[in-house]
Amino acid sequence: MQNFDPNAKVKAVFLYNFTRYFEWPEKMKSGNFIIHIIGTNNSLSGELNKMATTKQVGNQKLEIKNSTNLDATIKPHIIFLLNESSDLLKDISAKYKGKGALIVTEKGGLAKSGSAINFVAIDSKLKFEYSKTNAVKAGLKTSEELKSLAIAVD
Amino acid sequence: MHIKNIFCFLLVVVWHNQYAQNDLLLDAQKLCNEKNYEQAIPMLEKVILHPETKGDPASWHIRSYAYLQSYKQFGPANTSKIFMLDTAMTSAIKSISLDSTNSFGENNNAFIKNGAATYYKIGSILLRDSLNTGKSEIYYQKYKKYTAIINPTFNLKQKDIEYYNTMGSIFADLYMRNNFDQKHGDIAKMALLKVLELDPKNISANINLGILYYNQGATLMRMMDYDVDLAQLDVIQENAKKLFKQSLPFMIKVYELDPKAEKALESLQGIYSALLDEEKANEFKQKKEALNKK
Repeated sequence: MQNFDPNAKVKAVFLYNFTRYFEWPEKMKSGNFIIHIIGTNNSLSGELNKMATTKQVGNQKLEIKNSTNLDATIKPHIIFLLNESSDLLKDISAKYKGKGALIVTEKGGLAKSGSAINFVAIDSKLKFEYSKTNAVKAGLKTSEELKSLAIAVD
Repeated sequence: MHIKNIFCFLLVVVWHNQYAQNDLLLDAQKLCNEKNYEQAIPMLEKVILHPETKGDPASWHIRSYAYLQSYKQFGPANTSKIFMLDTAMTSAIKSISLDSTNSFGENNNAFIKNGAATYYKIGSILLRDSLNTGKSEIYYQKYKKYTAIINPTFNLKQKDIEYYNTMGSIFADLYMRNNFDQKHGDIAKMALLKVLELDPKNISANINLGILYYNQGATLMRMMDYDVDLAQLDVIQENAKKLFKQSLPFMIKVYELDPKAEKALESLQGIYSALLDEEKANEFKQKKEALNKK
């Protein structure tokens, strides 16, 4: 079988799409657009780094950061908390409240516990739950259109 | 019996019957003995039309021999001169039909067997040439036709399984190596499904089909641009999911037939993971790890 993780690609496409549906605070519209992955998923890191070589967000270059724990030196636009790092959600959502970081998770129920986007598997396809409340809390301007494409949790 | 030995035998047979034959046949025979097939063939073309010799099995038999040997002079598995091999085969068949005393039976059969093997060889060579797959099957069908004539009980079903399995493997490989080109994938699928029609428990065909369907689904994802919109993404996921689901029964079959087949365990882990069924993916991951520990 080909050495390729389809789910990593789907997640990368979702993350890139999310950049169209949120507006980040003015102070974050310069410099690189940072996606910070917390946890280990080599396929996903590889896919996002590949994406970063060809895509950008507006005029901002994409930059992928990866760590196994929260790194306060990183000023991310998107924080993707992988399943194994889900326990950090409470801390992270508190720390980044109002700072303009879209928090994305991939564990059941987390959109109700602090993340704005939570990936879920439904009928063998990847979909996402969306909490507008959590997105607003994070300091992002939201789009109503996204709600129609998501499983809204509030 | 080797073709050279057969020829010595023929010469004797024709020599004994020379008074009943046209001189032309004897002359052609002598030329064949000198390996001068180029001159012998035009004579034999006249012999098979001549009223005195056209109904003689020896005429057709020698014609078959001349064409067969002449064909071989152009090198092994030559397709540009294939009409010579075809003529050799039809001549041997004609000789058999006229040979009421079965004087040439053994030799005619040897010619046909030799020709059938050549067709098989050509078919196998062309199989590896993606531009000539269709032609490969034509030669393979000729191999089957002539093999069935000389050996009606020969197990052609087994040969079909081997041939189409080879075709499937080659094109599955070409599919991978040519950036997952759909055309190669479809040929591989057609060939492997043919194998499973004949032998549903064929492990190689089941594995290759399972991998092929999975790869086709994965390719849909891989080729997708990063900025496809979410509605398109859903359609692509749906199409890929169908292909992943199609790959499952083939790989499950392999697992059922051989629960220790590492390839099946590894593939099932990948397929279930692609279908976002992490529980099942982990189940097969653990089975594979347990197998490797032993």
